[in-house]
Amino acid sequence: MMMSCRNIDLGTSVLDLMPCGCSCSSSSTSRRFLSANCSKNVCRIGGRSYGGNLVLLRRDLGTCRAVPAKPKENSLINGIGQDKTVMLNLRQESRKPISLENLFEVVADDLQSLNDNLLSIVGAENPVLISAAEQIFGAGGKRMRPGLVFLVSRATAELAGLKELTVEHRRLAEIIEMIHTASLIHDDVLDESDMRRGKETVHELFGTRVAVLAGDFMFAQASWFLANLENLEVIKLISQVIKDFASGEIKQASSLFDCDVELDDYLLKSYFKTASLVAASTKGAAIFSKVESEVAEQMYQFGKNLGLSFQVVDDILDFTQSTEQLGKPAANDLAKGNITAPVIFALENEPRLREIIESEFCEPGSLEEAIEIVRNRGGIKRAQELAKEKAELALKNLNCLPRSGFRSALEDMVMFNLERID
Amino acid sequence: MMTSCRNIDLATMMACDCGGRRQFIPLGNFSNTLCKFGSTRSYGGRNLVGSCKVAPTKSKEISLVNGIGQAKTVTFDLRQESKQPISLANLFELVADDLQTLNDNLLSIVGAENPVLISAAEQIFGAGGKRMRPGLVFLVSRATAELAGLKELTTEHRRLAEIIEMIHTASLIHDDVLDESDMRRGKETVHELFGTRVAVLAGDFMFAQASWYLANLENLEVIKLISQVIKDFASGEIKQASSLFDCDTKLDDYLLKSFYKTASLVAASTKGAAIFSRVETDVTEQMYEFGKNLGLSFQIVDDILDFTQSTEQLGKPAGSDLAKGNLTAPVIFALEKEPRLREIIESEFCEAGSLEEAIEAVREGGGIRRAQELAREKADDAIKNLQCLPRSGFRSALEEMVMYNLERID
Repeated sequence: MMMSCRNIDLGTSVLDLMPCGCSCSSSSTSRRFLSANCSKNVCRIGGRSYGGNLVLLRRDLGTCRAVPAKPKENSLINGIGQDKTVMLNLRQESRKPISLENLFEVVADDLQSLNDNLLSIVGAENPVLISAAEQIFGAGGKRMRPGLVFLVSRATAELAGLKELTVEHRRLAEIIEMIHTASLIHDDVLDESDMRRGKETVHELFGTRVAVLAGDFMFAQASWFLANLENLEVIKLISQVIKDFASGEIKQASSLFDCDVELDDYLLKSYFKTASLVAASTKGAAIFSKVESEVAEQMYQFGKNLGLSFQVVDDILDFTQSTEQLGKPAANDLAKGNITAPVIFALENEPRLREIIESEFCEPGSLEEAIEIVRNRGGIKRAQELAKEKAELALKNLNCLPRSGFRSALEDMVMFNLERID
Repeated sequence: MMTSCRNIDLATMMACDCGGRRQFIPLGNFSNTLCKFGSTRSYGGRNLVGSCKVAPTKSKEISLVNGIGQAKTVTFDLRQESKQPISLANLFELVADDLQTLNDNLLSIVGAENPVLISAAEQIFGAGGKRMRPGLVFLVSRATAELAGLKELTTEHRRLAEIIEMIHTASLIHDDVLDESDMRRGKETVHELFGTRVAVLAGDFMFAQASWYLANLENLEVIKLISQVIKDFASGEIKQASSLFDCDTKLDDYLLKSFYKTASLVAASTKGAAIFSRVETDVTEQMYEFGKNLGLSFQIVDDILDFTQSTEQLGKPAGSDLAKGNLTAPVIFALEKEPRLREIIESEFCEAGSLEEAIEAVREGGGIRRAQELAREKADDAIKNLQCLPRSGFRSALEEMVMYNLERID
């Protein structure tokens, strides 16, 4: 109902990456981000050290890879308990960029059932709702949150000796996706956005009334399913998220164009709007796997750090990607007065930026000027560092899990996010 | 989030001040210079029979103030004892402190977050709401508490009442967005004054708070009960939105929609109150039915008043249900007799004067009268549901609540 994780479901940009097709020279420019100012002819490098540091993930460490060999993912498909310790030597093993699709291959069936269930839950009620739901469900959503739920469920299930996911696990994933979707729909109403993922938003297409109603309906369904899970701990966990969503929206709405916003405010708002849901999903998954509370807590922190990392990356991309890549107007956040990490960092050094923002971009060309300042004055770079910092924390949180294909996939997820800003 | 209990908070009736004649304010076409008569107070729950009353003596309510367990059997002879019209204020006198605390808590819960929200909340909280649902929760709590030997209301009771009022308020705010209404209770709606965005956000916020408090009550039965209501709200809105101007709507569809939009919340409130009093299941089930029948009766009365009252009395445009294509009981009944009515409605009132013509047709086709009978039928059922409670001031107040509702359409 009240969240703006809108960027988090970006997947098209990653999947648009061109695979490297050269032999070794890094000057071969076939791998490039299709980004406006940030186009560097760098080869992308992944980092797979399981120690959890992102030391290897530096953009300067670049040599091109050879043509990709068989994807590593095959080892992940073998179910719970597959213990494969794989160390990657960057220069020897070639690897495709992480894609969500590959990452989620291990839980592909789970996601397919989820999709079917969601459409039937929403569709059963009313044709208009189906259209609204399809607009948003079908609009390129990558099911990242449910994917996370399934991965954490399976990764923790082994610890608890579970052989298969429970009904609660599946239902939890559905609830999470419904809450997320409902929040996107309302969020677009609140932001008066007309595009999401390259398509019109629900309220642009069907009107505000349908958007409010569709959001309310999906939210109500999620609450009902949640109540019928009959697990008080999870009920409270998710209810807290819903409360956080509302608080996050309010926090954001009350601090538009406010240049005194501190990094902590931003992190709190990002927690409310994004990381809270992810953290509750991962913890909920662990709860239903019936693991010990320490593990459940680590899963909470994992979700939180991953969520924060995602949001920071999203906020960076809002500056570095084009409208086509984003699926919605670029630099949207700033234009609306929503001051995110890159801006907060840039504001520390640039009084001119403050002036422009406080003028609320009343002068033509001032938004573009502001974007330039943010890019050229280190705002992006420091935000990237912040994203990496959170990502590293997230990787550490995974240490309590036994090594498995599922744990690797979770690590890949952290890296996938960071690759978006390489 | 999504109900239209908008008329339920009307309390602007005029009291009789003569030695025998009481007058209604003229009600559009339906002005009857009738004496208002009150119902018999026989606890068997018979239908309304009436004659005019003389000047009121001391109000019966004083006997109700003596707390839990006051068992007073009072039967009225209409011609001898006079009685003021039931007012919600009197009826809730018994639980006045509970309601005051509730008011304070609600404003502080909402206000703590943000000034804009406070303004939005005050617009709706301060806009003449009669706190009928929390009042019901408190009355049922106290009425059932005696059965269970409870001396005082629990924190859960109080929190339940707050949750109910927050959900109700959130639904009103969103409902006005959905209906594009600009007036409620004589004041501008939240979205008219603050914009759609604030309205959506305020509704979402209040709803989120309510869900959080609900979860922290840690009672699975009540959590499921109220979650069902929230689901019903959404279903009700959708049902209504999909059947605008649909003249094939049946009475059962109408009753189901009214259940979703209104009675479901009332039923869950009364049952929840009983649950927290820890009474037996039979009693909680009767309390559920009581709430449901009362809620349905209320909605029907509301729907009648939309035809019989003026804009000033309603606090919003009269005939607005029909104008929007929302076909309620009076219309459904009238449609059985008036083919012309169907034509007009299906034309969606494109011709000037057609709405007025339709309103006339509803009144002439006996729509109002039959709807009144339906309201009374549900009211009778509600009174019966109260029989499992020990006689007390609180039970009497609940019975009066049923009657209060019906007096609105006398």
